[in-house]
Amino acid sequence: MALLEAKHITKQFGGLTAVNDVSLTVEAGSIVSVIGPNGAGKTTFFNVLTGIYKPTKGTIIFDGKDITGLRPDQITALGICRTFQNIRLFNAMTVLENVLVGMHTRLHAGLWQILFGTPSVRAEERASLERARELLRFVNLDHQRNQLARNLPYGDQRRLEIARALASSPKLILLDEPTAGMNPQETAEATNLIRRLRDELGITVVLIEHDMRVVMTISERITVLDYGTKIAEGLPEEIRSNPRVIEAYLGKGAAAHGVERVEG
Amino acid sequence: MATDNRQVDQPASLWTQLRTMAGRGPAPYVLILAYAAIVSALLLVNPTTGLGTDMVVVLFLLLMFVIYRAPTILAFKLTLGTILLAVVMPVFGVLNPFYIDVVTKAGMFAALALGLNVVVGFAGLLDLGYVAFFAVGAYLWGIFSTPQISNIVSGMEPLHGSWFWLFLAIGLAVGAFFGVLLGLPVLRLRGDYLAIVTLGLGEVIRVLATNLDRPINITNGAQGIKDIGRPPLFIEPVFQAFGITISQVQEYRLYFYFLVLLVLALTVFVVHRLNNSRIGRAWTAIREDETAAIAMGIPLVRMKLLAFAVGASFAGTMGVIFSALQTFINPPTFDLLRSIGILSMVILGGMGSIPGTILGAVIVTLLDLQLLPRIASELAALQRRGVPIPAWFDPAQYQRLLFGLLLIIMMIFRPEGLLPEDRRRQELHHDEPEPAPVSKTVKPAAESAQSAEG
Amino acid sequence: MAVEATTGAELILTRRSFRSFMSEVFGPLLQVFLFVVGSAVALGGVVILLAVVLRGTREDIDLLQGTITILPQVIVDGLVRGFLYATIALGYTMVYGVLEFINFAHGEIFMVGAFVGAFFGAALASSGMLTTINPILFVIAAVLLGMAVSGLLAMSVERIAYRPLRNAPRLVPLISAIGVSLVLQDVMRMIAVNTGLGFNAQFRTPDLGQPLVLAHMPIADERTIPVSVDSRSLIFIVVAILMLIGLNYLVNITKLGTAIRAVAQDRPTASLMGIDVNRVIAITFLIGGALGGAAGILFGMRVGTINPYVGFLPGLKAFTAAVLGGIGNITGAMVGGIVLGFLEAFVASYLSLFTRGQFSGASYADIVAFSILILILIFRPSGLLGEVVAQKV
Repeated sequence: MALLEAKHITKQFGGLTAVNDVSLTVEAGSIVSVIGPNGAGKTTFFNVLTGIYKPTKGTIIFDGKDITGLRPDQITALGICRTFQNIRLFNAMTVLENVLVGMHTRLHAGLWQILFGTPSVRAEERASLERARELLRFVNLDHQRNQLARNLPYGDQRRLEIARALASSPKLILLDEPTAGMNPQETAEATNLIRRLRDELGITVVLIEHDMRVVMTISERITVLDYGTKIAEGLPEEIRSNPRVIEAYLGKGAAAHGVERVEG
Repeated sequence: MATDNRQVDQPASLWTQLRTMAGRGPAPYVLILAYAAIVSALLLVNPTTGLGTDMVVVLFLLLMFVIYRAPTILAFKLTLGTILLAVVMPVFGVLNPFYIDVVTKAGMFAALALGLNVVVGFAGLLDLGYVAFFAVGAYLWGIFSTPQISNIVSGMEPLHGSWFWLFLAIGLAVGAFFGVLLGLPVLRLRGDYLAIVTLGLGEVIRVLATNLDRPINITNGAQGIKDIGRPPLFIEPVFQAFGITISQVQEYRLYFYFLVLLVLALTVFVVHRLNNSRIGRAWTAIREDETAAIAMGIPLVRMKLLAFAVGASFAGTMGVIFSALQTFINPPTFDLLRSIGILSMVILGGMGSIPGTILGAVIVTLLDLQLLPRIASELAALQRRGVPIPAWFDPAQYQRLLFGLLLIIMMIFRPEGLLPEDRRRQELHHDEPEPAPVSKTVKPAAESAQSAEG
Repeated sequence: MAVEATTGAELILTRRSFRSFMSEVFGPLLQVFLFVVGSAVALGGVVILLAVVLRGTREDIDLLQGTITILPQVIVDGLVRGFLYATIALGYTMVYGVLEFINFAHGEIFMVGAFVGAFFGAALASSGMLTTINPILFVIAAVLLGMAVSGLLAMSVERIAYRPLRNAPRLVPLISAIGVSLVLQDVMRMIAVNTGLGFNAQFRTPDLGQPLVLAHMPIADERTIPVSVDSRSLIFIVVAILMLIGLNYLVNITKLGTAIRAVAQDRPTASLMGIDVNRVIAITFLIGGALGGAAGILFGMRVGTINPYVGFLPGLKAFTAAVLGGIGNITGAMVGGIVLGFLEAFVASYLSLFTRGQFSGASYADIVAFSILILILIFRPSGLLGEVVAQKV
């Protein structure tokens, strides 16, 4: 069953077309990668999916509902959450609080309930703390929970972003370059974590990634964007040998030289 | 390595030792009680007005913060604090009316500053027109309790003072309503634009207050409204029971002192509750990174409006109290300088920090109403005795200079304020035994660590 | 032969650059001129229409005739207000262009300029030269003096109160700027009160001549009333136009202007290209401050009496003008100033007339200005001339 269906998405800024008629179907329980050279429109595409930009044209169906034009918070409440290319944590908050913020859409305490400290609010707070700790343990950050987010090392910040996204209990998580700036060891760990998101938590994953080794190991399907247009889509093996993809990455003439350079 | 550390620590070690000693066992209790006893005795034995008493009052307020920070049990803090504020201060107030007025004002500004702190400190929205909501509350009671109301609703008589209590709640609601009304159009704006627009809105309210004496006389224009109603007194019997007779003026003084104290306590409670809830976390998230906050599912406009409305509602209520306390209001009371004065309280104490904001309000009010005028009069006295002090040097006249320097210096050297908010302490009430029940989908920590490494 | 060829090429080059020179220096002014005419015609049309519609509501006076009688004066008033806001707005917009920072204290820089003029006038008066000095010389000297003091002051403020905060979160330098503005108000008050100039300082000038009568307008029963511009307004408009020409030359033609525009576009890249960013920012404050100072002198000269708080409202409105025109855009600031100035002048003059004096136009003009600010920010935050920029995520 398709969890996400983006149909003919186009996004224009003034005269610039950042995303041009891109369609993407994501099956529930799969891991899908969106790749492409810098400036291909991948992040803009994510921003359209999560409601930060409204698409100029096209529709997005998520879990059977049309979510085109909904506000980002409504989309998150329906079950799509994301991380950012350049990490965007709430720096002055603790690790634990970052995760608690992620839970916002799943908590229901209203103004008056909070003011009167009703038992339901207290129970909810307790439960959310438990849940946040669980998530932190899942990404192996529980021991850091009282640190301020800004004091975490880089790799931990990436994992915290994932934990924060998980806190909204998403059905679909969008990861924007989750291994950017990592060394091979950290990259391997991150790859593993992404796989566990799907295998253990049953969350569907869409990621933007530049590291071809990561893409080729974990994705079940790959979509390739170039200049805002989808130029290829398929299984990793198909993408690996697709001449248009090689051309997009390495320029004309490189296609003849084969595949290895794409991977490197 | 170890020796290095010791060398670095050495200059502070005497201080550290003293602190550990003062914080151990019964020492803090004894020290604080001694401090409290000395200060109370000084206040009650010599209740004259002068530089000496000024200093003792400062020490008294400092004592509040010492109690707040001291490593003692909560019950001790609460008991001592209550005795000092509810017994020592009022008795001193009966003996010397000047200082309790200053303390009442400080409490009022602390509550106002806490409201602004919700907007600026928690949600990160720089509101330069905050005093507008204060004005709305003040004019609300000012109009309804004086003959002004007859100009608007013909035949309606000014309300009796006992309506004041209801108007505290109405002030809250009207403040919140105006907060939403003014907030709705502007809260989509980015931070610095928002600051200028709220400043403009604040000015609009002031201009309206000045000009709405025509075509219908609503605000009585630049002359302002006088003889604003006060709530009826009911604490007289309490004093008579003790055989004390006090004048009505003194009684009102105590009345408003306790009222302000009560409202301040309520404000602290509300702000604290909100800050430690999903709403408070959402505000902080918005302050830290709006885009990330939206992506985490936080409804941006609704949360900002809520912050605006909460802040404005405190201001509305304090406005009602202010107009009854002063019995006179006019448009210049609510100018930009007042907004900036409240802002500098928040910034001095620490944006986002509740104790910091109260500290900031107390310091700024004391400086503004008590210490600077006192220094000015002492200087004038010296000058009369022939000490060459230039005539233009009158510290009481330079409020703007004071606020301005305060803002610049704080921004350059300590933008987080004197008592910064402490995020790390938040979780203290949840230090219960470790591994909570693990759900089926999530593996225990050790295992997940292993698999992440593998 | 070879020599001739080079000369030919150079000639073409100069001719070409002369044309681009003209278009870059005077093009923006042409745009400003179009907005002046447009605003005057549009608003004039609106009030005349309103007068026709509301004619029946007043028996005491002929509304249409009253409207037309004061119209020329209102247009002159709009021009003066417009150029006032335009010159101050330039300071906001240039600083915003390079730093994305609202220099809240700019209104006070303007106020200091006005006081420099008042001091200059007082100094001349006390030495007895005020009656003998050539009025034109006086205006030039006062404007230059005001520009120098305000420019240097703006530069020092940047150095002391803004530069240490350049990488702090957005609101931090803004709060510092609010502080600077309060400090400048009180320091100026301290100086003015203690040097004998007084809180309400008189701006003394030599005799600047009689009002210039432009035409005689016939009204009913064969009387005419003179349509005139007073000399101070005229000086204001002329000097403001000269400054705008100078600024356009500076920004669009000179190497320094290129550097400023480069820093505004992309600070890190500009510094990689060998531009001393700190210096460029300092100079931007110098230029913006100098323009503000000149505006202060002209303003003081026109109104005659100033006080230390006189910078606040014009500052706020000039910021509105900068936003109206598209903040960061120099031509936009001028256009925004003109449009706002005209709107205000019309509201100030006609609101009382049309509401039988129930609403005082002068007070509600402020409300109109702020309402415009809010509406613009909500519906077209990029302003009249700005471009729509995508939010960066």
